[in-house]
Amino acid sequence: MMRVLLLLGVQLAVLAALVTPASAQADRSFARALSTIALDERLRQDAALKVGDTITLATTPDGPGQQLVVSAFTKRTADPSEVARSEYKVRLHLGDLQALLGYGDRVDRFAVVTRDSAATERTLSAVNAQAFGFRAHLSRDIAVETGRTFAVINRFHRAIGVITILASAIFLLCIMLLRVEERRREIATLRLIGLSRRTVVQAIVVEATAIALLGAMLGTGLGWVSSLAVNRFYQGLYRTPLVFSLVTPDVVLLAVVLSAVLGVAAGWLAAQRLVQRAPLALLGR
Amino acid sequence: MRALLALASLVRHPARTALAVAGIAVSSAMLLDMVMLASGMRLSFRELLDARGFQIRLSPKGTLPFDTEATVGDGRSTLETLQRHPGVLVVAPNLGTQLIAPRGDAGVTLAALGVEPTVQGDYTLLEGRHPVRGEVVASRAALAALGRAVGDTLTLASGWDTQLRLFRGTQVYRVSGIARFHYLGADQHVVALPLADVQALDDGARDDRLSSIMVRLKPNATAGDVARDLTAQLPRVSVLTTADAVAQADERLAYFRNLAFILGSVSLAVGFLLVTTLMTVSVNERIGEIAVQRALGVQATRIVQQIVAEGLVLSLVGGGLGLGLGLLTARYLESILGDFPGLPPDISFFVFQPQDALSAMGMLVVAGALAGILPSWRAARLPIAATLREEAVA
Repeated sequence: MMRVLLLLGVQLAVLAALVTPASAQADRSFARALSTIALDERLRQDAALKVGDTITLATTPDGPGQQLVVSAFTKRTADPSEVARSEYKVRLHLGDLQALLGYGDRVDRFAVVTRDSAATERTLSAVNAQAFGFRAHLSRDIAVETGRTFAVINRFHRAIGVITILASAIFLLCIMLLRVEERRREIATLRLIGLSRRTVVQAIVVEATAIALLGAMLGTGLGWVSSLAVNRFYQGLYRTPLVFSLVTPDVVLLAVVLSAVLGVAAGWLAAQRLVQRAPLALLGR
Repeated sequence: MRALLALASLVRHPARTALAVAGIAVSSAMLLDMVMLASGMRLSFRELLDARGFQIRLSPKGTLPFDTEATVGDGRSTLETLQRHPGVLVVAPNLGTQLIAPRGDAGVTLAALGVEPTVQGDYTLLEGRHPVRGEVVASRAALAALGRAVGDTLTLASGWDTQLRLFRGTQVYRVSGIARFHYLGADQHVVALPLADVQALDDGARDDRLSSIMVRLKPNATAGDVARDLTAQLPRVSVLTTADAVAQADERLAYFRNLAFILGSVSLAVGFLLVTTLMTVSVNERIGEIAVQRALGVQATRIVQQIVAEGLVLSLVGGGLGLGLGLLTARYLESILGDFPGLPPDISFFVFQPQDALSAMGMLVVAGALAGILPSWRAARLPIAATLREEAVA
């Protein structure tokens, strides 16, 4: 189902109202007559509140408040834009919030569910052409606009990834060069007993690929464990269900293929250096 | 002599040495970038706040300046309280809102700041003069979007009437100047006009309201002490010193700091592993040579020093190249993060400080020295006769 968001021209600041939890009392008989409110799960932990408690909600620290009964606790959604914000979010009935803020009959926006994409387009055109003071936007357009921040973060992560791959490539080439150099006597002997340069190169390339693949597998395991640690740390730090690091089959495939390609290239380059020299020279004669 | 021997050993395998240096250079570049990233934002943000000379900022209770659309309702009495404080020199109030420059049925939305032009710290005038009643100064982006220049007139509306389908609060202003706004994005459409003009919009609906207030202190006043006094006197506002604001920003930007720490640690570990591997292989290759040196009377500590010196030379050369590479990559990464929507033009993520370069180099050199110790110590303690015999047979 496609969604259309209808935005009012007037932007109200406070859908997520600022809460000043005042006194919590468990007067159940009194509570039944009051309106209800759903509080942020973090507020339950920080203010030791429970369902059925009565809280006073006010727009200013010393202003007249409205008493509400806590009916539920809500967890933070996995929304990256909220992750670094420490404010508590509360949800109350629209009428209660309008009364509390003195906003009369005003609202910030409507979310509309349509039957299909054609209906979405029709609704969008009709609202923008006829409704007084409304501006309709496609949810995806709003997502693109609000996602600009995350597009920048993605580009930043990609650039860091490229630098890391460059460092890994040099590291792998260095290791392969060292390994092959270490075995120059063995390779010289193989050449002297009749093995062709091609066979030697193939053997080294196979070995390099095997090392790269083994390293990639170990790296995948290490990455998976690191990913768990990163998620655990950040989810605890920000008290959010947002997943910060995700090891997907695509990422694993990319890492393995890239390692194999780098391994083949590093092995081939290292082998070329060795087979270009005469076997006796390799033996130091 | 030891340094010469170390250099000779590295020169003997130029390709290997070049690759190791390249690997260390990339690792140290990344390390430098991460050290710069970890401290750069805080430094840059502090400089941005300090540059205007205001040490204290006030905003509606529980908010940061311009973090929400909440306002302080009793502006005049708040300003009087501030001006009465003996430590306060200048008080610069402002009120933020949105204005629309009508264009047919639609319009260009502008961020509008109501300020006291003579004391404000929100913008620097680039051209023209500060606005008086009925005038605005605008950002270059705003003037470009509106096709206006200094001296032109501009029709601005305070909102849209939903019943009549008309722009409301329409007024004509004269553009008195072009300004650079310090706390708003470089590409944002912004205008600043006298505070009284903004408070008078919509028949005075914003009368006596303020979004934030900046306070400049007398030279002998301490920000912390004044902030404590004001917090006690003004229960409806949050009073933030520059240090408080930096701490709040730090909390929001903790992600980048943690990322910098993790990636910096990984870079250091990669550099350490590279030098360790290289030193281990290099020592294994030269077991016979080391045994001969030992047989000739060279002390084990001298052997260790020579091999550690090799690791140090690799780290120093690679680290030195890495500094240059790090500055280049920092510029590239800065250009990526600079695209953050609404980022003030004076905020930088990567700020170079000599102590950052020294920290990165220091960590790398220590890692390089440590990397050489274990293999060299093992080689220096091998039994001389048995090693020489094995090498001769080989």
